Amino acid sequence: MGYVFDPAAVLTGQYLDWFIWGLATTIALTLAAWLLGMTIGIILTLVRMLPFRPFEWLVAGYVEYHRNVPLLVQILVWYFGVPQLLPRALRMWVNSHHSEFLLAMVALGLASAAYITEDLRSGIRSIPKTQYEAARSIGFSYLQAMSYVILPQALRIVIPPLINQTLLLFKNTSLAMAIGVGELTYRTREVDSYTFKTFEAFAVATIIYLAISFAIMALGAFADRRLKLELR
Amino acid sequence: MRLFQVAAAGLLFLTGVVGVAKADELADVKARGKLVCGTLGTAEPFSFQDLKTREIVGYDVDMCRKVAESLGVALELKPMAVEARIPELLQGRVDILAANLGWTKERAQQIDYSYSYFVSEQKVLVSADSGIATLEQLSGKRVSALKGSSSEQGVRRVIPTAETVTFQDSSSAFLAVVQGKVDGFCASELILVKLRKQAQASAPMSIVEKSVFVEPWGLGVRKGEAAFKAQVNKVLTELDSSGEAGKIFAKWFGPDTVYGMKLDFKIEEIKG
Repeated sequence: MGYVFDPAAVLTGQYLDWFIWGLATTIALTLAAWLLGMTIGIILTLVRMLPFRPFEWLVAGYVEYHRNVPLLVQILVWYFGVPQLLPRALRMWVNSHHSEFLLAMVALGLASAAYITEDLRSGIRSIPKTQYEAARSIGFSYLQAMSYVILPQALRIVIPPLINQTLLLFKNTSLAMAIGVGELTYRTREVDSYTFKTFEAFAVATIIYLAISFAIMALGAFADRRLKLELR
Repeated sequence: MRLFQVAAAGLLFLTGVVGVAKADELADVKARGKLVCGTLGTAEPFSFQDLKTREIVGYDVDMCRKVAESLGVALELKPMAVEARIPELLQGRVDILAANLGWTKERAQQIDYSYSYFVSEQKVLVSADSGIATLEQLSGKRVSALKGSSSEQGVRRVIPTAETVTFQDSSSAFLAVVQGKVDGFCASELILVKLRKQAQASAPMSIVEKSVFVEPWGLGVRKGEAAFKAQVNKVLTELDSSGEAGKIFAKWFGPDTVYGMKLDFKIEEIKG
């Protein structure tokens, strides 16, 4: 007896709702973690470039930790481990306040920051050093030179690798399922376990993930075309 | 649209893979000389790895073995993930599932269930100092469960106001209740009894007396395999009447085990 492939069976009623909620959570988690990762990534890059050696080692250590420890482990550490280190009252508060989303965002954001800061660093290194020297010589401070001259250019150069990081981050949000965040993969497995329509449920999720990945790529390619710098 | 084409190709591929037709399971298994049984392999005491022999053993495994013996064929075990159970069966990679398969109406539309060979009482574990003693007190609270389990579905059904948070494995779901991230953990009473015992010293727990629901488990077979299903049911009925079923039960759940349970169900047809 053949199997009838019937995607409609998982796209009705509460199952459709679950997919929609899962998708919304995935998008929210991606955006929140991206903003956090970008902010911390930029800060780390600036700190690293300060003329004080120990800062560089510190950032390098940060990058190596996030690059070499499996992301799933990092997420579990943030969810089950870090709150245990807090003072009791604060820990109880965190534990009873639906901390999954927040801690998943922190874990994903910090991990992304490690990759983003590496991308930014290579972007900055591609800006001729003479520009920094010129900026300093007309009286800019380090921060001013960085934020008015170097970073605006470097950020544009690193658009393609940043798109890559965004795609990775978007897909990695599915790991948040391990700590009970109701994102798309979590909901997909929920639909699957209710209906046992495994092929349909995962086919729907695959198409959604593909569609959004393509959208991110298209958006990134557009931004890259519009902002491209002609460096000599 | 390139995207549409990719999606369509993917769907076509899936339908092609899925559309396996089988003639007669019973004859096929006999001709092949082995019964391939899908089981979880990580669910003590149903199917788990014996630390000494490295073999997968357990209550589920013994049930499959009895079916294989009745056919005079060898037993081949195939460990699988929870979400892979049904696809593996539908694609014909396994002949039968003995994999903690709780009966639900929607699931019964996909596969056939044998007579129930186990009845699982689903209960809720809470912190001893939480003051929760009834299921009603869990309304509006957060309850953890194993992802993909029927416990999760049971909580939704019985305590609709409770929020379920599901985890990949029982230990995470348990840790969540120990750390106070959720107020209760719903699972088979068996697992809860064992976890409570383990955590006695560090984190005293208690189990809410009333069960959330009682769930019959069956062996899973593909739909439309009447002869094979009849054979499986015949084996189970004979195990029940000969007292063999009781012995297998006692081996895994009886007084000599950490569970110390008494057999209080009969092997019978699952009535929706």
